[in-house]
Amino acid sequence: MNNLKHLLLDKLNGTSLLKHLINNYKYYRKYGILNTIIYFLKGTFRRYCPSLKLSKGEQIKRLLSKCNININKEGFIYSIDSYKVLNNKNRILDNFTIDYSIILDNSLEDLINKVKLIDNIDYRNNVLNVLEGINVILDNEINKLRDSKRLDKDKYLGYLNNIKNGKCKSFEEALQRILFFNQLLWQTNHMLNGLGRLDLLLDKYYEKDKDNYTEDEIINIIKDFLLKLHDNYWYKSNSLLGDTGQIIILGGTLEDNTYFSNDLTYYFIRCIKDLQIPDPKILLRVNKDVPNRLMELSLSCIKTGVGCPLLANDEVIINNLIKFGYDKKDAYNYVTSACWEPLILGDSLDQNNVDSIVYIKPFNKLLDEYDLDKIDNIEKLLSVYKTYLEDYLKDFLIKNSFKWEEDPLISLFITSCNKRGIDISNGGAKYNNYGFTSVSLPNLVNSILNIETLVFKEHKYTLKELNNARLNNFKDESILKDIKNVKERFGQDNDHIIDITNNIVNTVGDYLNDKRNIFNGKYKFGLSAPSYISLSYNVLASLCGRHNYEPFDVHISINKYSNGYTELFSFASSLNYSNNSFNGNVIDFIVSKTFIEKNFDKFNLFLKLSIDKGFFETQMNVINSDILLRAKKNPQEFPNLIVRVWGFSAYFNDLPDEYKDVIIKRTLEYEGKLS
Amino acid sequence: MIRVTNIQRFCLNDGPGIRTTIFLKGCPLRCPWCSNPENISYDIERYQLEDGEAGIYGKDYTVNELLDIILKDELYYQKDNGGVTFSGGEAMFQIKELVPLLKILHDKKINICFESSLSVPISNIKTCLPYIDELYIDVKVLDKNIAKESINLNTDIYYSNVEYIYKSGKPFIYRIPLNNEYTFSLNNQKLIVELIKKYPPLKVEIFRIHNLGDKKYYSLNREPKVFTKVKDEDIKKFMDIVKNYSKIELIEI
Repeated sequence: MNNLKHLLLDKLNGTSLLKHLINNYKYYRKYGILNTIIYFLKGTFRRYCPSLKLSKGEQIKRLLSKCNININKEGFIYSIDSYKVLNNKNRILDNFTIDYSIILDNSLEDLINKVKLIDNIDYRNNVLNVLEGINVILDNEINKLRDSKRLDKDKYLGYLNNIKNGKCKSFEEALQRILFFNQLLWQTNHMLNGLGRLDLLLDKYYEKDKDNYTEDEIINIIKDFLLKLHDNYWYKSNSLLGDTGQIIILGGTLEDNTYFSNDLTYYFIRCIKDLQIPDPKILLRVNKDVPNRLMELSLSCIKTGVGCPLLANDEVIINNLIKFGYDKKDAYNYVTSACWEPLILGDSLDQNNVDSIVYIKPFNKLLDEYDLDKIDNIEKLLSVYKTYLEDYLKDFLIKNSFKWEEDPLISLFITSCNKRGIDISNGGAKYNNYGFTSVSLPNLVNSILNIETLVFKEHKYTLKELNNARLNNFKDESILKDIKNVKERFGQDNDHIIDITNNIVNTVGDYLNDKRNIFNGKYKFGLSAPSYISLSYNVLASLCGRHNYEPFDVHISINKYSNGYTELFSFASSLNYSNNSFNGNVIDFIVSKTFIEKNFDKFNLFLKLSIDKGFFETQMNVINSDILLRAKKNPQEFPNLIVRVWGFSAYFNDLPDEYKDVIIKRTLEYEGKLS
Repeated sequence: MIRVTNIQRFCLNDGPGIRTTIFLKGCPLRCPWCSNPENISYDIERYQLEDGEAGIYGKDYTVNELLDIILKDELYYQKDNGGVTFSGGEAMFQIKELVPLLKILHDKKINICFESSLSVPISNIKTCLPYIDELYIDVKVLDKNIAKESINLNTDIYYSNVEYIYKSGKPFIYRIPLNNEYTFSLNNQKLIVELIKKYPPLKVEIFRIHNLGDKKYYSLNREPKVFTKVKDEDIKKFMDIVKNYSKIELIEI
């Protein structure tokens, strides 16, 4: 059955039929079967997909021209027609943040005139077609708005019209322009679209306009902006509801090493805190000079359980970006991909979520194939694992070499593509690196520690005996009990555990170091991943005590034997992020709202001092098990309960049971209610 | 060697700032409500939990071993007088063994707190007081006969230790566990108020005793004692009286 499913998916991959089916599934995921039938029927005469025989630019032009426009009852204009899709032969670039300054500093006419100067005819025509399509959909929006009964339409007509011929003039107009171009990305099947450093981007417009607004008015404008982005989240959601990748980056270190924040930094956080929506989400870049007031506001937002802001430590990230090869200016201006992977804004193809390394797979292969009697100490085990891991990585890189779908829309925003007349999918950007995430590192390290204790130190079992237990899915409970009683664990800041972890990290980093992708771009990886459940489905038990197909451990997190958050942060700060290993490394932990409330100042101090300690990134799930268990049993009582899933937050009720169960289990463990 | 049952990092309620709390093994008292029964006996003890987990309470550390662990969080002690708290058991019981460690921490300007029942000879106090920045003094049963019988406390020694500390000028806080049967009897409340009046502290912290330690009793094959719940109105009455002489706070453990 599974094979048939894969065959079918392979056949349909990239086709409009699959796209429409996925949209119907997404709608069903949020609104249930009856509403989905209505949605499906409504689409009978509205579904459209331009022919693949046309050039990409022409496809986009036709698609945009045919979009039905929906004018909101009030506020910003933002419309996505989910019945219009594009076919694709190859994988579409995603996980992007386009440089919105380009559409704030340029009118559509400016862009057209610039593109007309590009030498490469095919490229030029492709992009010009896209710009024509943008013109048409803009005109359609303007006309629909003009015909509407909205009392405030003149203001927004002004903003939309100005996109055609003028540069952005005001704060509110800037937000409208961002929304307009953002909707185009979603409309053309680009997923996981970030928003960039909005406080920095909007700074000059806000400074010019702020005296024209009261604080409440600014807040309402921003709330409207956020709500519009959130509006279509059923459609925008990727693997799970809420996983839209709509990430807003705030704060951050400037090139002169001062810390940037402005009123907007605070306003955006306040708005998310007030609105209590899981999407869009915020990432706050911090350094040791981050204002205490800003940290306090962030913590007060986190405390509500909304799951953000995630904190990203510039003290660690920027130098690693520079070491990897990014220009200093670009490194300081980093944003992130959908979850947390540092990403260069603007002139970059960088795909940070190409695939996930599954550390436990080559380890299980080692246990299956190697003569285990020949492994009599931990050094030998690590040395043999290294060869298996490198073999795995070799196949992994081959598997992850593919063509990208031509993309004149994104190329429009890429300076080097326009200079060189080369589409981004063909390596036209300045940076063309690939990033991987990874899962099961905690499971691997714990497996190694268990072997070390039970086999090499205590001589309680042979490695073969442990492996047999694993192959029997730990039916022998006494062996499982012994495994669970081993107190050395991933996440403890004991030199030995750190060394083992860094040994593995360095194996990957060293292996990737001289490898290049088809564009001569480099590879980077990170220790966190979204796929702790989805990639565990076909993985047998592991010597950490995990049963067949059970989810992997989550990111860098607390375990039963952890000794406080300081230990966890100390561990994470000791890991090596400089060996190509900076593609997202998140400390993810659970904390109760009561704890934060009772210890607010000290907890805030702890987070601030941890910046100096050197964590990479951190996020918190502020929940308690009672509420989660009740919400699972009676979801209707908790319609607005939000939890952090991986790099995004979601309504608890929207999650499949297996994700709910992982969050519940982790929370019970944190509360000491699970052995 | 210093005998320890637990080293708890990231403690936020055992003194100012962010702290590491070292729980020392051994205590001369026998408080029926003790929530750390594994700290009462100085002997190393085997335990077994209900879920089958087995282990040992108590481990001997050298000064350097303890120091290494303490210094892992040195960065966090730097602000708001964070540091190390010695608790137990009776923190001053192993004072001779602790002094070298206290000297090093003191030289490193790491804040040191002690939580103590003061049920030790005054010489112990004189030895460690120069290194201590702040003291948490347990206030339990103050009637001489009841204290000796119920918790093995010599109140003469206790009161003279309190006086010594008070006269030294070292800042201290009283910590009072509340249970109707012993510490919160009407008579004991009166004695506590007199203590506060005579030797006023920085503040008084009171807390309801809890049963979080029950698992540990079972792990040692013992039965935890059961206590009646102290009423909110009784706590309020007591706090209203104490407020005339000292700051007082009800803390949640």
